[in-house]
Amino acid sequence: MARDRPAVTLRRKLLLAFSAIAFLCVLAVTWIVLSTTRRAFERLNEQQTEALIAQFQREFKRRGDEVLNKVTNVTRNDSTARMAAAASSPSRDYAQFLSDAKDVADNQQLDCLEFADADGTIISSAQFPAMFGYKDNSVPVAGPDSNPAFLRREALPDRTALSLSAVRRVETGNNVLYVIGGRLIDNNFIASLEVPAGVRAMLYQNLSPEFSRGLLIDSSGQLARGEALESAVRRVQVDRREITERIHWSSDAADDEDMHAIPLNGQKGDLLAVLLIGNSRRPYVEFSQRIRLAAMIVAGSGILLAILFSSWVAARVTQPVEQLAVAAREVAEGNLNTQVEVKSADEIGELAETFNRMTREILEKRELLVQTERVAAWRDVARRLAHELKNPLFPLQLTVENLVRAREQSPDDFEEVFRESSATLLSEIANLKAIVSRFSEFSRMPKPQYQNVDINNLVENVMRLFQAQLSANSIECHLDLMQNAQTIAADPDMLHRAISNLVLNAIDAITAGGRLAVSTRQDRERTLIRISDSGAGLTAQECSQLFTPYYTTKKHGTGLGLAIVQSVISDHGGKVTVQSEPGQGATFIIDMPNGFQKLPLGNTSSFSH
Amino acid sequence: MGGTRPRYGGTLRVNMQAALLSVDPADTNSTDPVALDEISCLLFDTLVTLDGRGALVPGLASSWRSDSGYQRWSFSLRSNVRLSDGTVLTPQIVAASLRSVNPDWRVAPSDDGVTIEVSSPARRLPMQLALTRNSIVQRDNGRLLGTGAFAVSLWQPGKQLILKEREDYWRGRPFLDEIDVALSRNMRDQMMSLDLGKVDLIELAPGQSQRTTEKRTIVSSRPNQLICLVFQNNTPNEDERKLREALALSTDRRALANVILQGDATPAGSILPNWQSGYAFLFAPAYELRSARELRDEVHFVTPWTLGYDVTDPSARLLAERIALNAQDAGLRLQTSMSSTTDIRLERILISSPDGYIALLDVARQLGLIMPKVPGNSTENLYQAEKELLESRRMIPILHVPANHALAPSVHGWTSQWDGRAGLVDAWLGTGRP
Repeated sequence: MARDRPAVTLRRKLLLAFSAIAFLCVLAVTWIVLSTTRRAFERLNEQQTEALIAQFQREFKRRGDEVLNKVTNVTRNDSTARMAAAASSPSRDYAQFLSDAKDVADNQQLDCLEFADADGTIISSAQFPAMFGYKDNSVPVAGPDSNPAFLRREALPDRTALSLSAVRRVETGNNVLYVIGGRLIDNNFIASLEVPAGVRAMLYQNLSPEFSRGLLIDSSGQLARGEALESAVRRVQVDRREITERIHWSSDAADDEDMHAIPLNGQKGDLLAVLLIGNSRRPYVEFSQRIRLAAMIVAGSGILLAILFSSWVAARVTQPVEQLAVAAREVAEGNLNTQVEVKSADEIGELAETFNRMTREILEKRELLVQTERVAAWRDVARRLAHELKNPLFPLQLTVENLVRAREQSPDDFEEVFRESSATLLSEIANLKAIVSRFSEFSRMPKPQYQNVDINNLVENVMRLFQAQLSANSIECHLDLMQNAQTIAADPDMLHRAISNLVLNAIDAITAGGRLAVSTRQDRERTLIRISDSGAGLTAQECSQLFTPYYTTKKHGTGLGLAIVQSVISDHGGKVTVQSEPGQGATFIIDMPNGFQKLPLGNTSSFSH
Repeated sequence: MGGTRPRYGGTLRVNMQAALLSVDPADTNSTDPVALDEISCLLFDTLVTLDGRGALVPGLASSWRSDSGYQRWSFSLRSNVRLSDGTVLTPQIVAASLRSVNPDWRVAPSDDGVTIEVSSPARRLPMQLALTRNSIVQRDNGRLLGTGAFAVSLWQPGKQLILKEREDYWRGRPFLDEIDVALSRNMRDQMMSLDLGKVDLIELAPGQSQRTTEKRTIVSSRPNQLICLVFQNNTPNEDERKLREALALSTDRRALANVILQGDATPAGSILPNWQSGYAFLFAPAYELRSARELRDEVHFVTPWTLGYDVTDPSARLLAERIALNAQDAGLRLQTSMSSTTDIRLERILISSPDGYIALLDVARQLGLIMPKVPGNSTENLYQAEKELLESRRMIPILHVPANHALAPSVHGWTSQWDGRAGLVDAWLGTGRP
């Protein structure tokens, strides 16, 4: 029977190895490219952010300078002089200045303009005209020289806003007037920043203790879905330092942004705004996706190439090995004529040559062994035959010599001697014929004729035949037959003869008063028949030679009984073994298959001998 | 130079700040009742009208009489009065017009006029009929037809209105050929146009009436408008009433009148101005921030309010913002809003009649208040009615303001109406312009 091929062949191993190597190589290259790309993008992001921050600071300063100039211009205005003069009057008339701030602010293109006296009382306001007479507690510090512009919180009628403001102090005699002007920091301010593609600027106006989405603006106005930035803004509010955070706008990673949040403080160091610069990760993500796609294509191609390459290598390497494996299996199955083709001069070729030499030597040695065994067998047969024939031949010779001597010396008694000698001759000739018959029988063992056989019934019949002999020798017989045993497929005559031989062999081995036990056992596939005796037992040497033809331990045995038993059982596909030790009796075990597949179709009837 | 004799022809160019969307005198949605009143009286007539001293004179009705109980009134219509489309004014048209505005009245056409029956004695019914809202209008699928001296020639709501004279006007053809009214013009532009001679009649921003020049004629009316805060909630609870009282006390009306309106206003604690009622000083407005805070502190939960105003009126915006600031000083939560639906609105109400009772009745109607029953005609009765209206806390008077106009020197013949405004029906242009 051929053995199963191994689950993972050398060819598959080679294929897997090449594929894995190709895949790992692509994976490694992809990882390296992705890492390099990520670092490059991160560097680019950092550079863009730094550039934008620098641009913001420049724009902030430029706007601040503009505001400063405009406010300085306002200080030279006539209405400013009038207000400065009226600033110290306890009964100042706000009505005459009500629209002055607005008019001047429009003229100077300022979003915010306030005139306040030394106490911070607003005389006129452009952004909140109704504030006249109210004190502005946030009047900034104004020096006599040009202080730079700064971020300022502006109270408007409907909201609070941020402005980039400058303050100037006007002194007329003992009167002091503060002029505070500015431009609102709104979406127009952000829109004026030139940002590179993929980068955007936003501003959180820190005008409320709680985070409010409405305070987030970008170049288009109020920012939609600004709640995603709450975490970054809060961190800046707490830490008061620049932070970077990745913002996930949606489940799509391409929408992510690396957000740099920078605190913007007012003149007194209070946090008034958070500048948010977002670098889109879309270019990086899309580039990474393209790299991954290319890597998948390369990996696929690599695996395909690995398959082709491994096939080619297999043709060069594994095919001879596989041929060797097939040849080795054939040798194992007994076909010693198997040879493999030697195609190469490398190690595989040498291995094939060695294999061929090995099989040739095995074949030669087997033939030599067979010849030796055959000669030995013939010698053994000749020895046995000579031994068997010598016993009857010697009386024949004596009888014939006695007849010759009686005719010459006692002619009168010759008649009497002739009768007696004839009887002896016939007896010995009959003995010779019996010997020849047994040899002939052994040489002509027929093939089994399978039928359904009830094994228990067959054993009982055998024992019934030997009942008288057992009783005569005072042998106790014990039968242990399996209940409900199934019939088996066997030749009932041949099996009967085999069991009879074993029982007879046991009876011969048992001295008077011994014990003979016969048992049957069966499973779904096999049937066991045990025949045990309480005889003298056998040595290990005897056990190993017991089934050899013409081997016997008896004085008058032919040595063919157990050989016939083995032949019968072997022809049934079974085997017979012996278990024995000297002085412990012997047990012969017939192990044979139930063999239903050997029955002719339709033959299901059981047989009893 | 034009002489003193009237001359026909010419187009009177008028600028108005109001963005009028309708010229229907019964329109209740107008944010500028003065502008509507001035336009309406050019297009429509009333049965009874008022002379310059506020006395009743016949209008479309040539005569009228009542029964002894003043509950049934009969008005005889003037003959040969035609609508602007040429059809004759009939008693049926008059009755339908009056019924649509006064659903409580039973108005029936008679042979020569209409009879009006009311449920309670109404001595002042003729004076009530002199109100502009009671002008006789034939409403025909959105088309308005009147008997006035002018008819609509071009109407672009909110932008422009051109009125053309009517040859068949029952009082005779007006001198002007056309009146071209440009709407939605801010005060600054109006003044600039007047100075450049591009317009003949403008409204004046607060304070401008005091800056006279030779190039213009200033016409200032009596304080005939009430600026007030009107609450939308009709049924205030005790806390709400305290907060409203706190709002009234926290409002610095003097600053509003003197600074924002540049002195062209009078702080108001009453509905009717003192020149009309004679007792307005009894409702003298108080600015008591401490009292306002105390009242506010009596309330555990301060309801946030929104304050709306006429967004086309810059003065209204400033007034609203200042009122909100004052309120915040008292701890109230008031925020201005440009929304059309707010908790409080800053309204400008026209004092529409020289008769105190009729004026108070019309103010109550315009504000959606229920006019208290007045047992008699005495000033005490009127005072009591106004006091009840004020104590309802549905509205807070803020200012009384006049209507100020400037006319080019070429405009002649305008008549002074009972409240001091200029009537244009008889005006004519004295320049050489066509």
